[in-house]
Amino acid sequence: MKKTEKWKKMIKHVCLIIGAVIMLVPFAWMILTAFKTKSEATQMNPFIIFPSQWRTEAFSNVIRKMDFIKLYINTLLMIFGRIVCAVLTATTAGYAFGRLKFKGRDLCFSLVLFQMMVPVQIFIIPQYLMVSKMGMLNTIFSLIFPGLVTAFGTFLMRQAFMGLPKDLEEAARLDGCNIGQTFLYVMMPLTKSSMVALGIFTALFGYKDLMWPLVANTNQQSMPLASALAKLQGQFSSNYPELMAGSLIACIPMLVLYLLFQKQFIEGIATSGGKL
Amino acid sequence: MKTKKAKKKITSRDKAEFLWGWLFILPTMAGLIILNIIPIFQTIYQSFFKTGAFGRGYVFIGLDNYKRLFADTAVWQALLNTLKYAVIEVPFSIAIAIVLAVMLNQKMRGRSIYRMIYFMPMVCAPAAVAMVWRWLYNSEFGLLNHMLNAIGLPKVNWVSDPKIAIISVAVVGIWSVIGYNMVLFLAGLQEIPKDYYEAAEIDGANAVTQFFKITLPLISPTMFFVVITRVIASLQVFDSIFMMVDQSSPALPKTQSLVYLFYRYAFVENNKGYGSTIIVLLLAIIMVITVFQMKAQKKWVHYN
Amino acid sequence: MNWKKVSAVMLVAVMTASLAACGGSGSDSKDSSDKQESQDTGKALTVAIWDSNQEPGLRQIMDDFTDETGIEVDIQVTPWKDYWTMLEAAATGGSMPDVFWMHSDQIGTYAEYDDILLNLSDKIKESDKIDLSKYPENLVKIYQNADGDQLAVPKDLDTCAVWYNKKMFDEAGIDYPTADWTWDDFREVAKKLTKDDGSQYGVAIKPGSYQESWYSTIYAYGGEVLTADKKKSGFDEPKTIEAMEVIENIIKDGSMPDYNVVSENETTALMEAGTVAMTFQGSWAIPELAENDYVKENCDIAPLPKGPEGTKSIYNGLGWAASANSENTEGAWKLIEYLGSKEAQQKQAELGVTMSAYEGTSDAWANSHPEFNMQVYLDMREDAQAYPSSKNTQVWFQMMKDKMVDGFSGAKPMKDVCEDIAVEMNKFLAEE
Repeated sequence: MKKTEKWKKMIKHVCLIIGAVIMLVPFAWMILTAFKTKSEATQMNPFIIFPSQWRTEAFSNVIRKMDFIKLYINTLLMIFGRIVCAVLTATTAGYAFGRLKFKGRDLCFSLVLFQMMVPVQIFIIPQYLMVSKMGMLNTIFSLIFPGLVTAFGTFLMRQAFMGLPKDLEEAARLDGCNIGQTFLYVMMPLTKSSMVALGIFTALFGYKDLMWPLVANTNQQSMPLASALAKLQGQFSSNYPELMAGSLIACIPMLVLYLLFQKQFIEGIATSGGKL
Repeated sequence: MKTKKAKKKITSRDKAEFLWGWLFILPTMAGLIILNIIPIFQTIYQSFFKTGAFGRGYVFIGLDNYKRLFADTAVWQALLNTLKYAVIEVPFSIAIAIVLAVMLNQKMRGRSIYRMIYFMPMVCAPAAVAMVWRWLYNSEFGLLNHMLNAIGLPKVNWVSDPKIAIISVAVVGIWSVIGYNMVLFLAGLQEIPKDYYEAAEIDGANAVTQFFKITLPLISPTMFFVVITRVIASLQVFDSIFMMVDQSSPALPKTQSLVYLFYRYAFVENNKGYGSTIIVLLLAIIMVITVFQMKAQKKWVHYN
Repeated sequence: MNWKKVSAVMLVAVMTASLAACGGSGSDSKDSSDKQESQDTGKALTVAIWDSNQEPGLRQIMDDFTDETGIEVDIQVTPWKDYWTMLEAAATGGSMPDVFWMHSDQIGTYAEYDDILLNLSDKIKESDKIDLSKYPENLVKIYQNADGDQLAVPKDLDTCAVWYNKKMFDEAGIDYPTADWTWDDFREVAKKLTKDDGSQYGVAIKPGSYQESWYSTIYAYGGEVLTADKKKSGFDEPKTIEAMEVIENIIKDGSMPDYNVVSENETTALMEAGTVAMTFQGSWAIPELAENDYVKENCDIAPLPKGPEGTKSIYNGLGWAASANSENTEGAWKLIEYLGSKEAQQKQAELGVTMSAYEGTSDAWANSHPEFNMQVYLDMREDAQAYPSSKNTQVWFQMMKDKMVDGFSGAKPMKDVCEDIAVEMNKFLAEE
C-alpha cells in the first residue's frame, strides 16, 4: 500500500512541477530581459537567454523615469476603491439575486448578465464622456469609475449564495433575524472565500486595465502602473529591459496581496464545515 | 419554499423580500444601467448609422450595415474563428484548473508555493506574455522550432499557418486563464465540508469516485459560473490575437476574432457604425448561448 | 464580519472617496500657485505625444520655452496604439490637450469640423518666427483644411533609405551601393546576396511597410498610389503595376525569406539577426537600429534605388496642432510658434530627436550617429514624393495592406492584387 501511495505522490509532484515550469517561463524571460541591454533583449539570432553581464541599468533608469511611489499610490487607491465598491454592491446584490424572491428579480439579473456579453471596449468612450462632464478626469475617482459596480462580481456572489444550504434562512428567521440581519450575520460570513476571490479578481482587473487609464488619466500625476509602463513601448521600438524591469517592480504588490489573501482560502473549510 | 403561494395574498414575508431585495440590488442596478446598459443601447443604436468622428455627422442608413454584415465573408470567418477558439480554450482550461484545484486543496508539501506559481501568469505584464509567446512560436528564431529541429522534425509555422494559428493562440489563452479558474474552484472547494469526503472514505470510495460523486456536484454552482464567464470571455477574445498575429500575417483571416474586427472598424478605421453592427451580432450569439446554458443548468447544477 | 468591521470599511471608503476628490483638485492648485500671476498663463500647458523616445529631447526644448515665457509645459505620452482613441475621446468630450502631434493620416478627420483644431492661419501671418515657406510645401499643404486654413505647423520630416550589411557585401565581393544604382541593380544584388542554404537572404520587405519601401518603387516607375486630385486610385495604372511587378520578381527570384518569416518579424529584427542583407527603413527607425550592437558593427545606410523617374523617397512629417477649445489658446499658440521656429527646430535636430521640417536645420541631426551615413536621409529629400493621403486615408490603406499580403505571399499575381485594390479604393474614395 505504502509504495503506491508514494508513487502517486511522486507523479502528482512531477506533474505539478512540469506545470509550474510552463507557467513560469514568461517570468523567467521577464527577469532575464530586465538585466540585458536593449540590443541583447531583441536579438533573435542567436537568441540570447542569459545576459552577458547582469546590468541593473534598466531598473535604475525605470525607477528614475517613473515616480513609482506615486504610481503605486494611484494604483493601490484605485484597487482599494474598486474592491470596496465591488464587495459592498456585489455581495448585497448577489444575495438578493440568489436567495430572495421579488418581482423584477429575474429581469434585473438578465441585465446583469447582459453587461458581460459585450466587449469592454464599447464602454470606453461613453464612460469617458461621463467622467469628462463631471470634471473628474485625471483623478482617482475616474480610475475607480468603471468599477463602481460589477456585473461579474454580482454573478459570482449570486452563485456563492445559491450554493449554501437551503434551510439557513429559516433557522435565522426562527431566531428572530430580519432579512438584513440574516444576510449580514448568517449568510455573508459563509461566503468569505468567494468574497476573497472577488477581491482578488477586482484587484487584478483594475491593475491590468490599460485602455481606460490611457484615455481618462493622461496626466502623469494620476496615472496608474499599467498605463505608465505602456509608455515604454514606443511606436517603432520598445525598450524591453526597462519595460520588463518596470513590470517586475509593478507586479510585486499584486503578488504580495495575493499571498496575504491566499491564507483565507486555507481557513475556509473550518468555517463552512462547522456551520452544518 | 414549502408554503403554497395563495394567488393574491401577499405575505409580510413577501413584502420584506421585495423591499430588501430591491434595496440590495439598487446600487448595482443603478450603476449598471448608467455605466453599462445605456452605452450598450447606444452601441446598438449606432449600428443603424453611418458614423462620423467625434460623435457627429451621423447619417441614418437603416439596415445597410446589417446588409453589409451578412454579405461580409470576413465576418463569418471571424465568427468561425472565434467559436473554434472558445471550443478549445474553455474545456481544456476548465478541466486542467479543476484537477489542479482539487490537487492543491489537500494538505501537501509546497501547496502554497504551487498555488502562487499557478496564479502568477495572471499578474504578468500582458506585454511580457505576448513577447514571450511570440518568440516561442516564431517560425525562424523561436524556441519551439529550435527544439523540433534538434530532434530532427521540420519546423512548424505556429502563428503564420492559417490552419493552426488559432490553436496556438488558444493554447496561450488556456495558459493565461488556468490561474483564474483555479482560484475560483479553490474558493468553491472551500465550501464543501470535509465530512462528506471522510464518510466516502469510510464507505470505500477512491479518489476518482469521490471527485465525480462529491466534488463535481457540490462545486457545480461555481463550475456553472466559471463555464458561463469563460465562454463569454473567450467569445470576446482580442488582446492575444492582436499582440501575436501581425496584420500582414497570412494566418490573420483565419484567426481574427469578431472583437478583433470590431476593434479594427471602430478604433482604427473610425467606422463605429459598422463596428457596432459586429457587436450586435456578437451580443446576439452570446445571448443565445447564455440563455441555453441558463436553461440547461437545471440538468446539472446542484444547488443545496 | 460584525458591525465594527462594516463601519470601519465604510469609513475607509468615505475617506478614500474624499481623498480621491481632493487628490484631483489638489495637484491642480499646487501647479497654479507656482505660476506667475498672469490671466491666461495660469495652468501648465498639456502637450500630448506618442513616442517616448522623443520625450527627453522635447522636454529640453520645452524647458527653454518655459525659461523664455514663464509658461509651464506638461508632456503626456500616450502609446501610439491608443493615442488616437484618447485624442478622439477628448475631442468628443471637449477636453483635448492644449497642444498635440498631428499625423497626415488623421488630419483629414480632424480638419473636417471647424471647432476641433485651432485655426492658426492668422496667427502665422502675424508671427515673425513662423515662415511657412521654410517648410516643405507639401507638408504645409497636408495640414491645411479644404478652405486653406493652416491647422498645424510642420514639426519634422522623415525620409526613407536602404540599410545594408557591409559584411555580407564584402563576403560576396559586391561594391557598396552608390547613388546611381537602379532597381535592376538592386534585384541583381539581392539575388547575389542570397545563399542557397537559406541562412542569408538579399532583402526583406513587408507589405505593411509600404511607406519606406514599395510606395517609392511605385513613384520611381512613374506610377502613383493616388491621383493628384485624390479622387481615384493609382493602382490600376500600368506604371504602378509595373513597379509592383519589380517587387514581385525579386520575391520570385527567391531573394526574400519565406513569407511567414517576413510576416512574423519586423525588418529591423531580421537585419539585427543577420538574416537579410538589405532592408528599407524610414528615418524613424534610427533610434532602434542605432542602438543595436550587430547593426553598429556591420551595417550602413544607402540611397534608395532609382527607377526611370528617380528615387522618389516618400517623405512625411508630423505637425503640431492646438485644440480650438483650449482654455489657453494664446499660450498654446506661443508654444507652437516656438516649436516651429528656427531655433527650436535646430535644437530638435541637434538633440537627435528627428530630422526637423525647417529648412537647413537638419544637418546637425545627420551627425548624431557618426557610425552611420545619415546624410543619405537628408539627400533623399532632393528627389522625394509626399506621402499620399486623402481625407479618409485610414479606410483604404487598411484594405490595401490586407490585399497586398496576397501579392507578397505569392498567393495572387501582383497585377490582380493591384487591380483589386484599385476597385475597392475607388469605392472608398467616392464616398469621401
